[in-house]
Amino acid sequence: MRILLVEDDAETADYVARGLTEAGHLVDRASDGREGLILASDGGYDALVVDRMLPKLDGLGLVRALRAAGVKTPALFLTARAGVGDRVEGLEAGGDDYLVKPFAFAELLARLNALARRPPLQGEPTVLRVGDLEMDLLRRTVARAGKRIELQPREFRLLEYLMRRPGQVATRTMLLEGVWDFHFDPRTSVVETHISRLRAKVDRDFGAELIHTVRGAGYAIRAPGG
Amino acid sequence: MPPAGEGGRRRPGWLRTTAFRVTLLHLALTLLGTAALSGVAWWATIGFAARQLAADVEQEAGVLQRAARLGGAPSVAVSVEARMAADPTGTGYYLLAAPDGGRLAGNLAQAPRAAGWSTLRLQGGPQPETEVLAFGTRLPDGAFLVVARGLAPVRDLEARLLGAAGWVGGAALLLGLLGGIAMGRGVARRAAAMEAALAAVEAGDIGRRLPARAGGDEFDRLAGRINATLDRLQDLMAAVRQVTDDIAHDLRTPLSRLRQRLEAAASGRETDARRAVGDAIKECDRILGVFEALLRIAQVEGGGARASFKRFDLSGVVEAVAEVYGPAAEERRQTLETRVAPGVAAWGDRELVTQMLANLVENAVRHGREGGRVEVALEGAPGGGAVVTVADDGAGIPAAERGRVFRRFHRLDAARSSLGTGLGLALAKAVADLHEMAIELSDNAPGLRVAVSVPPPPRQDGPPR
Repeated sequence: MRILLVEDDAETADYVARGLTEAGHLVDRASDGREGLILASDGGYDALVVDRMLPKLDGLGLVRALRAAGVKTPALFLTARAGVGDRVEGLEAGGDDYLVKPFAFAELLARLNALARRPPLQGEPTVLRVGDLEMDLLRRTVARAGKRIELQPREFRLLEYLMRRPGQVATRTMLLEGVWDFHFDPRTSVVETHISRLRAKVDRDFGAELIHTVRGAGYAIRAPGG
Repeated sequence: MPPAGEGGRRRPGWLRTTAFRVTLLHLALTLLGTAALSGVAWWATIGFAARQLAADVEQEAGVLQRAARLGGAPSVAVSVEARMAADPTGTGYYLLAAPDGGRLAGNLAQAPRAAGWSTLRLQGGPQPETEVLAFGTRLPDGAFLVVARGLAPVRDLEARLLGAAGWVGGAALLLGLLGGIAMGRGVARRAAAMEAALAAVEAGDIGRRLPARAGGDEFDRLAGRINATLDRLQDLMAAVRQVTDDIAHDLRTPLSRLRQRLEAAASGRETDARRAVGDAIKECDRILGVFEALLRIAQVEGGGARASFKRFDLSGVVEAVAEVYGPAAEERRQTLETRVAPGVAAWGDRELVTQMLANLVENAVRHGREGGRVEVALEGAPGGGAVVTVADDGAGIPAAERGRVFRRFHRLDAARSSLGTGLGLALAKAVADLHEMAIELSDNAPGLRVAVSVPPPPRQDGPPR
């Protein structure tokens, strides 16, 4: 994946760039908004990581300018501010995701992967499949190895979130935002308890485990051997 | 008053004070009033005396004219002689001149030639100079009659009045000046007192207040207003100090734990070091979490989020929050009972209200009895609006503690060792205040019952979404 990192703080930029490179991505760097805009205007990137506070042209302005020019490269904002309206502001400017500093690197990586591999809107699938697990999005039914599994509505959404991104890591906060629309981090391990309940229904009575815990990052669903 | 802006030359400081202007204005008004009063008095006394004199002269002239018509000049002459004899030292003066100018009778040395009113100065009388008011008239037989009266009484009255006016004017000047100075000094003194008090506050004596009498004048009202502002500032400063102290106190423990772990990692074996660093990262995350919660509380208390208030589905939020904590409650073998009235709307920031309710439910699940019952309910209130209730059957909060649990970092002693940051309820309170929701703690016998009264959303609410 080709990623453009626009960040003026050299230490953060080094840290992020090193991590992304180790994860197998190609990283270009820009240290101010104007340089970032010039590089990103080609549209040759799979994802943009943009700090909100940048010299010359701030992150919001950069993404706004890109969107105005028709560049649709997914953009993730990094910010040191966790203000109440800041996230909405970032999304309204044309950003696709929002991450508050300081962040765990695994979180950034998982979110970037999710952004860059967003399924195209056209050709929306009606059935999701992972291994022998099948989800019918129209009938709202789930079956594994032909056997029907009864899920509560929220369990269904949680499983759907994972199945739409097979093999990709979903972090706790991504699940909180994507499934429950929670934009804060509860102290109680609510995600863990939901996942373990889902596992009891989806994995327990079947041989192979589909829902995996990715240590220090989150959860992923994948077919055995996949 | 001197004109404003004298070519950039600065007037001395005291000339620019309100006190000086008040003094000057008071003086000017006092003098003007006295002058007007004196004018009226002059007209009423001197004018009256002069008119009275003229009327006397006119009347006497009329009488003599009638005598002339009846008996001619000789009759007039007799009449004049009689009048002079009746009033030897009097102030009446007469002259009867024959048509050729020869004097027939009377005591006037000089006389006007023309008929009508005139004022004469008589030389060589008993007094060095006598002023008279004279009225001359031509009699039918060609003789010329002059009747005059001494103006001395009028002039005397004038002199007296002038003297009196001088006294009154002097007194008015003095009183005006004194009154003005007193008023001016009063203004200056109170302004100085306020200035001194404010200077003391500025210098750090934040508890100092301006002198203000209850129900006083505009100065007192102004001082009262300034005092109220100072009270508010003092409260805010106390709050900031409280938070700073709390942060210092509550973060010292995790920070020293963090330091110990890192120290152990630096000196220990490599496998232990890896675990110690992992623990240290967790500790860091906790500390960052505390900071984030504090910043959020401060931000919510700042009230800026009000600008983005919208109508939102409260029923949906309560349901989602209850649903999120369902498995967590199950893990503590608690029954989570949810009763949510459908279609209840509220006005505010959906995310903040979600977080507030999540904090309340989280508290109930965390502090409720293991194997007990947690209740989450949303009901319409009788007077419009709604009430969200979160209740558990745990240890509850003693009545004496209930007011304090909303403070930052306040934890019951029993909970001090637990994982909470002590900020959950403080944030809930801040969010409730922002939304004008009342949050009330009561005894669930056993356990804690939290009731949040949600006001109804305003009727005027943009276009439907």
